[in-house]
Amino acid sequence: MQELLGHPAVQGGIAPFATALVVALALFGARLGGLAVGAALATAVYLIGGFAFPPVSAQQKILLVSLAVPVVGVIVDLAFKPTRAAAAVLGLIFGVLVLWVGINVLRQKETTALLIAAGGVFALTAWLTSAMFALRDDPVRAGAAALALGLGLGVSAMLSASASYGQYAVSVGAGAGAFLLVQMLLNRNIVAGATLTLSAGVACGLIASGALLASPFSPYAAAVLALIPVAVRLPAPKGGLWLQAITVSIYGGIVALAACLLSWPGVQQRLGF
Amino acid sequence: MKKALLAAALAALPFTAQANPESYTIDPNHTFMYWEVEHLGVSMQRGRFERTSGKFTLDRAAKTGGVELAVETASLSSGDNVKGSRPRTLDDHLRTADFFNVAEFPRMSFKSTGVKFAGDVPSEIAGQLTLLGVTRPLTLKVERWVCKDNPMNKKPMCGGNASATVKRTDFGMKYGVPAIGDEVRLWVSMEGYKD
Repeated sequence: MQELLGHPAVQGGIAPFATALVVALALFGARLGGLAVGAALATAVYLIGGFAFPPVSAQQKILLVSLAVPVVGVIVDLAFKPTRAAAAVLGLIFGVLVLWVGINVLRQKETTALLIAAGGVFALTAWLTSAMFALRDDPVRAGAAALALGLGLGVSAMLSASASYGQYAVSVGAGAGAFLLVQMLLNRNIVAGATLTLSAGVACGLIASGALLASPFSPYAAAVLALIPVAVRLPAPKGGLWLQAITVSIYGGIVALAACLLSWPGVQQRLGF
Repeated sequence: MKKALLAAALAALPFTAQANPESYTIDPNHTFMYWEVEHLGVSMQRGRFERTSGKFTLDRAAKTGGVELAVETASLSSGDNVKGSRPRTLDDHLRTADFFNVAEFPRMSFKSTGVKFAGDVPSEIAGQLTLLGVTRPLTLKVERWVCKDNPMNKKPMCGGNASATVKRTDFGMKYGVPAIGDEVRLWVSMEGYKD
């Protein structure tokens, strides 16, 4: 059993997916099916390194914030009625938070490199937070975007950054996949809300930023991944939830695949990156 | 009473005169930290850091000393550093946040807090190892220690070998445990020239 739980695919994908499926099935009636993503990430964190850590490194800070965000999502969903400015304000908050996450790396950089790196991770995290949050009332597109974002970032990070960053991102994708599957099994929408969209958007924004700052993660791949919340908004057939879910997942998947290809060193060399 | 104090002070004079701390600067071309860790329960894999700097002091009469080492973690070398068509080498992977996280923590350091002597050579160096922003106590066992003049340039030098075992999870390096062992054996080969 210990050997099974130590396998990277189980830690990052299978176990988080199973947990997320249970959470989504158990809590969708209470409008909290979106907790599937947080549950998936928490499972991966527990299996990969455990919860006992002081927030010293960027990765530890990312995990701390990402595990707390589902709670923020629940509060936003159940206690507030988000205004038009909510997406921008949340983007700004988590955009600033990523600077705290990356402070150890950022302060070692020269002024120009510092401004580029800080501006880049701020923009990426703020955009992913806002763009994902804007999908909160469309659970199929929100689930498909989180699925593509998690898997695309996960595979890209495994190829060019760190395996653990990759596993954490894949667990987000696994959680979103479970959320989407529950809708397909029930053949009806379940609430995504801020609980799902913030969990996925913030976690992926922070993980991508961590990979950019601490590893040779391709900024081109990160830029392409940022298009996923837009890609899933493309028109989808109105022939039922299954067809719609598969279609928008393919939209997101194509963009995610492009990001993965850009992370492959051979492709980077050919494109002259 | 005054005579007794004077006599004691005079008696101690030869010993205080012998106390002679000497400081040495690390020779980076002959100072390396090596590691050894179990891989998949099969073999022990080894590697080393190519760049280390620091200083040490030694007072063989007073039997005291101190060591400060700074290891540049980005200089690690496992032997696998040619990427070819792969996404990355083992060296690349070891530099990521999974292991040494060199972009965020470019230095590992050791600062001694006390040195034990066996005869007139150091036998144990207790100190603090800082890795990945976490500081933990570490005691290096000195396996050999020699002071002599360099036969080529005639400069006075000292050096030797020391080793210790750490648990990498104590420093937050949890990736791959237990497939990649938690216990890491560290060796230091160190040489320094007298300032």
